[in-house]
Formats: sequence, C-alpha cells, structure tokens
Amino acid sequence: MSLIEFKDVSKLYGFGDATTLALDEVSLTIEENEFVAVMGPSGCGKSTLMNIIGLLDRPTHGDFNLKGRHVSKIRSGQRAKIRRDTVGFVFQSFNLLPRLTVLENVALPLVYKGVSVNRRNKLASAMLERIGLKDREYYYPRHLSGGQAQCAAIARALINEPSIIIADEPTGNLDSANSRLVMELLSDIHKMGNTILFVTHNPELTRYATRVVYMHDGAIIHDEQTPLGEVAATAKKIMFTVPTKTEEDDLAGVSILMKSVPDASDTEAHHAEKAQKPAAKKRKSSKPRAKRTTGAKK
Amino acid sequence: MATVSRGNVKMTIQSIRSTKWRSLLTMLGVIIGIVSVVMTVGIGEGVKREVANQVNQFGDDLITIRPGNAQQDNGKIVSNADLLFGLNSLSGLNPKDLGAVRGADHVRIASPLGVVPGTVQTSDKKLNNSLVLATNSDLPSALNRSVRYGDFFSGQDEQANFAVIGRHVAASLFDENVPLGRSFTFRGQTFVVRGMFDEFKSTPLSPAANFNNAIFIPYQVAERLTGGSTQMYSVLAKPDKPENTRATVSSINKAMLQAHGGQKDFSVLGQKEMLAASGDILSLITTMIAAIAAISLIVGGVGIMNIMLATVTERLHEIGIRKAIGATNRQILNQFMLEASILSLFGGLVGIAVSIVGVFGVRIYTDLKPVISWQAIVIATLTSLAIGIIFGTLPAIKAARKDPIEALRHE
Repeated sequence: MSLIEFKDVSKLYGFGDATTLALDEVSLTIEENEFVAVMGPSGCGKSTLMNIIGLLDRPTHGDFNLKGRHVSKIRSGQRAKIRRDTVGFVFQSFNLLPRLTVLENVALPLVYKGVSVNRRNKLASAMLERIGLKDREYYYPRHLSGGQAQCAAIARALINEPSIIIADEPTGNLDSANSRLVMELLSDIHKMGNTILFVTHNPELTRYATRVVYMHDGAIIHDEQTPLGEVAATAKKIMFTVPTKTEEDDLAGVSILMKSVPDASDTEAHHAEKAQKPAAKKRKSSKPRAKRTTGAKK
Repeated sequence: MATVSRGNVKMTIQSIRSTKWRSLLTMLGVIIGIVSVVMTVGIGEGVKREVANQVNQFGDDLITIRPGNAQQDNGKIVSNADLLFGLNSLSGLNPKDLGAVRGADHVRIASPLGVVPGTVQTSDKKLNNSLVLATNSDLPSALNRSVRYGDFFSGQDEQANFAVIGRHVAASLFDENVPLGRSFTFRGQTFVVRGMFDEFKSTPLSPAANFNNAIFIPYQVAERLTGGSTQMYSVLAKPDKPENTRATVSSINKAMLQAHGGQKDFSVLGQKEMLAASGDILSLITTMIAAIAAISLIVGGVGIMNIMLATVTERLHEIGIRKAIGATNRQILNQFMLEASILSLFGGLVGIAVSIVGVFGVRIYTDLKPVISWQAIVIATLTSLAIGIIFGTLPAIKAARKDPIEALRHE
C-alpha cells in the first residue's frame, strides 16, 4: 500500500471556454519516507497537485488514495480531520497568524483537535525546542526573521505528527542562508521517517530530495530518483544556464526549465511522448509514474 | 462546541481588542438598545413600586369603594378611572351608600371623599388649582395617618368651618411651615386651619390624588356649601380586624348591591385589586415603550452582522490558513459565532453598566426612582447574547463555507 496514489487525476477550473486544465490525467505514486521535490514553471499545476494531496482541493476526475483510503469523494468535515491528522502544510509566505504568538501559532492545529490549553502549550513548547526556537516562544511572527518564521511554520505543520509534510515553495521568500536553514530542518524531519513533498524553483535544493518530479502544463513529464546530497541530474542542466528567459521563450510561454528537460521543449503537443525515452532510461524502480509514461510501456 | 475552550475565548478577545474602535462602534448599537430597554423597564418598575408604596402607606386593609364597575377578567382589572381613588369618575356615590358601607358587617370605619370645586384664597394669595376634599373625622384612621400638627376635626365640629391641610399647601398658600390658626376663604366662607398632615408619599403618575396638595373640610360643611350636591368620588373603609379584609369586601359588596337595587354600578376594591389595576396599566405602558426600545436592539444586531460580514472578507486569508491546518467548517463557524456573541455580550454588559449609571442620574435629577432588578440584568445579558448568536449566524456560515484555496490566495 502506497502512501499517496494518484490514478488519472484531472483538475479543471472554470466553465465553458474559460476552462483551464490544471492537472491532466496525472498518475503518481509516492511511498512512505520519500522526499519529493516538485519542479516546473509557474502555472504548471504544482500547487494544484499539492492542494489535492493535502486534501484542500478535490480532483475533478480520477482516483486519489491516501494511505489506501479513497479520499476524493468524502465529506469536507472528514477531509478536514484527515488533513489535520495526516498532512502538515508549509507555505511560501509562512502564513503564521500575526495576532498570535509563535507558541500559539504552533499550537493552533491542536486547538482543532480539542487538546486542552495546558497540554497544547506543552506540546508546542516541546516542538519549538526541537526546532530550536524555544527562546522565541512569546515573540509575535513579525519579530522573527524569515527563516525563523518558516521554521515556526514547520513546527506548526509538525505538531500533529503528520505522515506527510507538504511545502509549497518553502524557501521562495528566503535568502540562501535561511533557505539552507529551512531545508536542513525539513531534511532532519525526513530522516525521522516523514514523507515530504516540496515545490521549488531552485535546482540546487534538489540535493535534499530523494526524488524529483517535473511538471509541465498539468502533466508529469519527468520523474527521477536522485541520491541524497546531489543535485538531480536533470535539474543540474539548468543550474548554470542564463537565469533570464529570452524573448522567444516568453512568446512561446516556455521557461528555461522546460528547455533543459530532455526533448521537452520541442512542441507542446509531443512533449510527453518524447519525454518518455530519457525517463525510461533513468527509471530504476518499477513505480508507476506519469500516466503517459506507463501507458506507452504497454 | 469543543473548540469553545478557554484558549479560543482568549483568541477571540484578542481579535476584538486588536480592532478596538471598530468593536466599540459595533457594540454601540447593542449598548444603546440595552440601555433604552433597561432604563425604560427600570423607570416603569420604579413607578410601579412608588404606586405600591403610596397605596401601601394607607395599610393593607384599606378598602376603596368607587362608583362605576371595574371589569374584572381573570384577576385583571381594567379600569378607566383614576389610578388611585377614582376621582375622575363621572358619576358619584351618595350619603346613602356611605350608610350602607358603614352598616355592612365587619366595617369599623367608613370615610367619604368628595371633591369640592372652587378657589381658595387668603388675603394676599389665591390658589386656582386647589384640591378641596370633603370628608369626615374617620379619614386619619382610614389612611393610617394621624395629623402631625394640630387636630383633625372630630365628630362635634363637623359642622364648623375647620380645615386640615396637606404639607405642600402650607408652603403654597401661607408661606409658613405650620400655619395653624391661619384662615382662608373658600366659596365665600372663612375656614380656619386646624391641623396639618405630615408629608404623604407621592407618585408622579397620580398628582390629582396627591394629598399633600389637598385641603380637607368636613363633609357636612361641603354639603352646605354646594347645597347638598357634593358627590362622593370614593368611600374608604377599614375592617374591624385586618384578617377580615376579604370578608369585609364581600359584605360591603352585598350591602351596596342591596342599596343599589341589585345594580352593580360600583366597585369594592381591596389593596390588592388597587395595585393590580395600577400595576396592569403601568405594565402595559412599560411593555409598549420597551418594545419600541427593543427595535434599537435589532438595529444593533444588524450592525454586528454587518461588521462580521466585513470581518469575514477581511480575514479570508486567516480562514484559509485555519482550514489548511485542519479546521473543519463547523470549527470556523463556531469561531465567528463566538466572536459575534462575545462582541454582543460585551455590548450588553456595557449597556447594563451605563444603565446603572443612568439610573443614578435619573434618581438625582428627577423625581423618578427607577430600579434595575437582577432579573432585568439577567434578561439583558441573555438577550444580548442571543442577538450575537442570531445575527452572527449568517456571517459565520459564510466564513465556514469559504473554499480554503481561494481563501488562502486572498491577501
């Protein structure tokens, strides 16, 4: 039983002519204790994927099993409870509540679990100690540096001991030193057995991941295992390219990243078919990945 | 309601405090509503107590016989007469009735009260709106009052031009504290002041029956003055023993029915009925004014709803965060309901505090003596809480139904 199982999951937004396809029949399996980096240009459906995995959103079509449980159709109250107990969210903009102290912010998920005040504060305090923010307990979020705020947010995500941590660009608002701090923390959490999914635009950060998933236009175009401590092979290719997009790229709506993914930047219509070849070579496990990749194998 | 723990209440209070001015303005509607209702009821209650005091000062066993039949339905008395002694009634009783009352079983004393119209003047002063009451020597014992200075006219001098005055007449007519032995002219005759009552407790609603402004003259003198056409507006009677009051009421009823040939065109009222009559009317007035005042409470509730709706939009991002970390719709609903309720409850409590201050103000600056009972405080508190819950529901439902992703995106 896999932790996360996506089967032909699609997500549509809007109606009629304004319909956009955020996820296009994505199939994806994530096992326990994986540390997955999700990369891709803006608007490629990364966040939608994260939201669906985190039970904030429902797929329009397809099946989604979480811990073997079919969760795409259950009631919102039940979803909230599963979200509370199994998923921890970390956001790009930290999303700490400004009127609450760090301690209260970290303890907030426990409020919704019905834990008593004293126990809440004790648990939150212990968590902050683990994170290394014990001395900032009674600070307000505005008094923390970006890195500290993100660590506090991670502490909040961890307080219910969820099996999955979903971090949507956790380092997006941080400088490199703070990014390191946050990623080291996530890495520690991973070592303790949690499954972590994070979205990033920084190829350097794939060092921390055990698996990198590339997305484009709502589909997974590439999926590779990568050893810890090394930048993923595909990501490496875009590391030292010119960081700005050319005018042509802008016109075509294709980012630098897409160019560097093998054969992915040729044409929109054929990118998936072409991506399967290099992906298949790199594949070591038998895990099903992007739907089109597995489909082509048959 | 597990989420309504101490921590949540604290969080809510923090959020209210963070927008102090706005919260205060929001509460203002409820504050004004509560103050107006509590004050109205308080003043009404105060007047009711005053009337009760005034009625009770004459003793529990006083029986009043008035012309006209006060209709009695299920214990309530609907009366179109004056609140206290029926002085405004159109028809009167006559000396025969007085005799009938006197002759009824258990009656110890019976004293008539009739108004004699006319102008009272002294050598240098003139009282146009004087209240001259014709009565007999039994009045002091019927009213449970003895004359403070001088004497009341006794049986022998009921033919003589003697007068006994109320406390305020001394000041308005004679500029003297104790004007015993002074005289005045009334209907061409000279009267000598023989005694003066001490101050009667008065009520603002019944100035016509205010004995402090009255001049009492013997009934027989009044008959002489008016040529025997003095009408009795009421007869006051007392039983031989206080515990016989009810029996006396029925025996007077019987005697009067006999005297009136079986026609019930009079009423015999014990103190309880007197109070009920005045209390019912006062309650009616108070309820009506309070109902009008309660409209402002509804306006206050709408104000809370308005602000809560604005708050929901303003805090959309927060709602998104809370949902993302596992708050159920129900828990978000509870949070906003709690906030509206606390806001409204605070408004109610402030309103009660303002009312208490207001009552002191009214007591100091007017003759009214409003009272705030603990029942009024409890009801006001519960009402304000209920308003918060009622008007907080719609915004709370709106907040709870927000889509978490959209809410998170909102900054």
